[in-house]
Amino acid sequence: MDLKRLEIARLYNRFGFGPRPGEFAQALKAGVAATKQNVLNPPQIDSGAVTPPVITDLGKRPEPNTPEIVIFSRHLRAQKEELELWWLDQMVATNKALQEKMVWFWHGHWATSIGKVNYAMPMLTQNLTFREYATGNFSEFSQLMFSDGAMQVWLDGGENTVKAPNENFSREMMELFLLGVNRYTETDVKELARAFTGYQVSRSSGVVVYNEKRRDTKSVTILGKSAVMGPEDAIAHLVSQPDCAQFIAERIWYRFISSQQPLPANHQMIGAFAGREIAPLLSALINGADLANPQYEIVKSPVEWFVGVCRALSLTPSKLNSFTKMHGYLEKLSQVPFSPPNVGGWPTDEAWLSSASAQFRIAFATWLVNQADLSAIEALVPAKRAAYLADLLAVVEWSPRTSSALREVRDTVPRLVILAICSPEYVVSA
Amino acid sequence: MNEIPTMSAEQLGMSKYTRRQFLKFSGAATAATAASVLSMNDIAEAAITRPLPLGTPILVVVSLYGGNDGLNTVIPYEDAAYYSARPTLNYKPETLLPLTDGLALNASMTGIKTLWDAQKVAIVRGVGYPKPDRSHFSSMAIWQTGSPQTHLSTGWLGRWLDNQAVDPMMAISLGSVLPPLLAGAKQSGSALPLGGLIIPAGAIGKACMRLSTASQRDSKLSAAAATSMRNLFSVSGSITPVLSQPAPLDDDLPTVSGGNAGGDSNLTQQLNIVAKLIAAGAPTKVWSVSLGGFDTHANEANAQAALLGTVSTSISKFLSQMKASGRSKDITVMVYSEFGRRVKANGSDGTDHGSAGPMFLIGDRVQGGMYGDQPSLTKLIDGDLAVTTDFRDVYSSVIENVLLTPAEKVLGKWSGRVKAFKSA
Repeated sequence: MDLKRLEIARLYNRFGFGPRPGEFAQALKAGVAATKQNVLNPPQIDSGAVTPPVITDLGKRPEPNTPEIVIFSRHLRAQKEELELWWLDQMVATNKALQEKMVWFWHGHWATSIGKVNYAMPMLTQNLTFREYATGNFSEFSQLMFSDGAMQVWLDGGENTVKAPNENFSREMMELFLLGVNRYTETDVKELARAFTGYQVSRSSGVVVYNEKRRDTKSVTILGKSAVMGPEDAIAHLVSQPDCAQFIAERIWYRFISSQQPLPANHQMIGAFAGREIAPLLSALINGADLANPQYEIVKSPVEWFVGVCRALSLTPSKLNSFTKMHGYLEKLSQVPFSPPNVGGWPTDEAWLSSASAQFRIAFATWLVNQADLSAIEALVPAKRAAYLADLLAVVEWSPRTSSALREVRDTVPRLVILAICSPEYVVSA
Repeated sequence: MNEIPTMSAEQLGMSKYTRRQFLKFSGAATAATAASVLSMNDIAEAAITRPLPLGTPILVVVSLYGGNDGLNTVIPYEDAAYYSARPTLNYKPETLLPLTDGLALNASMTGIKTLWDAQKVAIVRGVGYPKPDRSHFSSMAIWQTGSPQTHLSTGWLGRWLDNQAVDPMMAISLGSVLPPLLAGAKQSGSALPLGGLIIPAGAIGKACMRLSTASQRDSKLSAAAATSMRNLFSVSGSITPVLSQPAPLDDDLPTVSGGNAGGDSNLTQQLNIVAKLIAAGAPTKVWSVSLGGFDTHANEANAQAALLGTVSTSISKFLSQMKASGRSKDITVMVYSEFGRRVKANGSDGTDHGSAGPMFLIGDRVQGGMYGDQPSLTKLIDGDLAVTTDFRDVYSSVIENVLLTPAEKVLGKWSGRVKAFKSA
């Protein structure tokens, strides 16, 4: 295997959403070190940035069977559609690939679904926080996620009061967001829930307010520390635990390097996260040796696959011929932005490789390729097309099986492209 | 593709599942033994060519994801402690469906009450396992692997499968992802996506078929990607009219207040398909279906009642469909959830994660009645119900009485039993 090609392909496929035409070939010329520098030091301003939609507070849901509910539902549907298209467009258009990939990572980490939140406005606010802190300070980020309206609705934070605490948020804060399972006790969960009491959220706007009457002001004991603590103190205490660095490194490893192999002990990411800054942790990973290790393969999730195809074929999600169709394909492939299946985020690897997804992927690919301008490939002599596609898609190498399947259809360009983007070599990031 | 999932020493040394392992496991299960995703046509063909002999017992496992509140399912409505623990989250006695021993079913469970009256429902009370784990993901892994202490990479029904002749039809789960429950070391159960599969036809179909052949150069995941596409083409061509009817629409379920801990949302549709396939003679002894949404931390009463109503109605409808097929005597339905909920309601008219809960065994082979001791509402362990019956007692009895296999082959040496089945 060509390790240079492997490393550069991974930089594009995993630390971004895949290359745009010409980028991969250019990066091969520039070399691994220069490409790493480009990934880690993107332009200050994202020239591809898509302006977020203006989403207004729709207020309380009107009563059923009223004229108001019809208008309300129409607005809500339009807002959700706008939100989904905006983010997909942004993933495709961005020139700050790592930043955008980290927004996507954090969405899967602090996994919150619009299915329960129901309003688009809090989901947009949350996404903008992901954006601000994508590679920033994790301590501040975690504090903001506590007072995040969508998260408060999602995990019943507003229901957690001194009279009877609700543990939903406190448990997930430790298990899934900051420490990892088994790194705390059941007592810690209960005590943290008490420290989290006193907040209420407006569902439609996501505005979180403090209500002293609901607050438990007594001392709590969390991971051995006893004090009167509010969410800010409690979260600072959790984030300062060594287990927090271990856990965040594990999660980054799991999504960027391998969900099959565990994070090696004492990985350099852990030390690099000492100041709880995310950027140094990412540099430590990218500058380390793992990217050149061929054993760490990973399956592209449906959204990663779709956005990668759009980037390679210069398609824009909002300009595809049907939102309903695009959304439907993503839904059938079980991955729609803003709708993770549960608070643990999306699954990985083999979960995306059922026969059902193979079928939907082929249909989706056919629909997309039929809308793409393929003239650059048509212009090449057929014998050169497979190699061109490998660079276009950042595929490390075609297997003999795929090479021969591509050779047979190389005269029919749309079919050739469909095959290439459905091939095991593209679906899996080697 | 016949690899057993490999676990590192670090992973094996851990006593409990981490969420990561559970997810990995649930995803990896299909690839572990190259278990195929089936199409309706596959099953239809098997049902025609080698139908399950009448009289063969069939197990239908219903997994309730999110942690069903047992105390508001089988309700101790004569116990004052119930009302004081849940001052605003209790049910008025006159609205409930009384059973025996001071217990009543949730008012929404009329279908199961009718079956209870016909003595076809065994309720096993206080079911759980030692040292309850309150993480959804860890606790579900414990129930599905059948192993509370050490973590195993196979499900309890997967280990039963390992003792059967290799047959992808032997155990089937509805939905496109296989639950760990059916993952075996030698063979895994199959997943049946709702709505079935459509095989790409014409030139693109042929080209994709070529693309899906195995390659020496494939890595593990590339091989899995090729296999998944190949399975798409290995389905048969025959369709029976029974199965080609359009699938009904999803239930309109209140996932709003308890829906963030996994599970599917269309139990009625799943059981409807299972009923059709059993009636058609599918050579399948174990079926797995699921319903999510039971994580009722807030405003529980209406949401849970709607979910329990779906469970009750879909199971009673399923069993009445079975009557027409002549196989109703063969069916046993088993219902469980990963944990019950805290006895004391929280401030939001919901409940937090707890420990023990009731299990249901339903069918003609079941000796209706109450089994296991009702956990006390006053002698709580850290605010939770004490476990009075180990789930392995129930599993052992199911393995022996429904799957007709020595329980030791699946669970190792385990002496507890719940004698809830009629003697053969």
